[in-house]
Amino acid sequence: MLAGFLTLFACQLAGEALQRGLNLPLPGQVVGMFLLFAILCVRGAYLDKAVPEGLAQGSQRLIDLLPLLLMAPAAGVFFLGDGFADQWWAFIVAVTLGTWLTLIVSGLLLKYLAGRTP
Amino acid sequence: MTALLDSPLFALCLTLAAFQLAQWLYLSSGRVALLHPTIGGAVCIALALVLLDKNYADYYRDIDWLNFLLGPVTVALAVPLYRQLHLLRALAGPLMITVVCGASFACLSALILAWWCGASASTLLSLTTKSITTPIAIIVTDDIGGVTSIAVASVILTGMAGISTISWLFRRLKIEDDRLWGFCLGLAAHAIGTSRAFERSPVAGAFASLALCLTGAFTALVVPLAARWLL
Repeated sequence: MLAGFLTLFACQLAGEALQRGLNLPLPGQVVGMFLLFAILCVRGAYLDKAVPEGLAQGSQRLIDLLPLLLMAPAAGVFFLGDGFADQWWAFIVAVTLGTWLTLIVSGLLLKYLAGRTP
Repeated sequence: MTALLDSPLFALCLTLAAFQLAQWLYLSSGRVALLHPTIGGAVCIALALVLLDKNYADYYRDIDWLNFLLGPVTVALAVPLYRQLHLLRALAGPLMITVVCGASFACLSALILAWWCGASASTLLSLTTKSITTPIAIIVTDDIGGVTSIAVASVILTGMAGISTISWLFRRLKIEDDRLWGFCLGLAAHAIGTSRAFERSPVAGAFASLALCLTGAFTALVVPLAARWLL
């Protein structure tokens, strides 16, 4: 599993380097994700190799931790401060209603498009 | 004693304890959407901070190093994505169209609603990134001159709104296909939605990861350009 973690960190590092070197508008970690994806695709297509066991395990462990990692920033919603007091109403309506509408619109659109694809 | 309350060790114990408690509540309630660990855990942390009379900014500084792990987790999403490649290929066209329309809609709907409710200009700018994952949202908001803490809050609230209603909403819309379910949740509710999608199935999780990345990339490219053009 440690080898898997090394792969993940190395891809992130390479992604950060690429992002800085080429001044890309995406964060390095997202570039790193695309890198790892490309590496897995090449390995699978040309070497006919599956995802290494350690990498698969390490990735799954980390992904399972996602809710834990998002909790601390989420708690910040309750501490936005007084300067924001008169904006609360607009903020909550816009964000929740906007999210529900987005779910409905994208859900119906994708359902329609996917239904047309054989 | 107060020094100990201000240590990263205390912040970590508080966070892990809140997570355990939230996880237990969520599972023993039979997975009630509003009790999802991200929401329940955040409430537990907020309550503990208020009871202990601790400053949120201090707590966040103590636990900041945990955010470092968001980097490798983002990279790790490539693995489930690759494993579902054969499923993604079959739907590539519809998925791309949905990302472009859905991501634009997420951004515009929030802007119009907030403007209609009388939000200030800086709040409006901070809402444009609500449907993308936190690290990207922070970078983009900084770039266009929004307020980072509002941007983070809108990202989190978006996630909470998404995961607390998706099951009910999509049952009503008769969308039960794991691929569509996961993709829309990843598109509208980024990482929080993605972690919820992995609970449903690995397929839903992979589609949510893909939507998370594509929406993030699309928004990060388009919002700064659009803001520059409009302002």
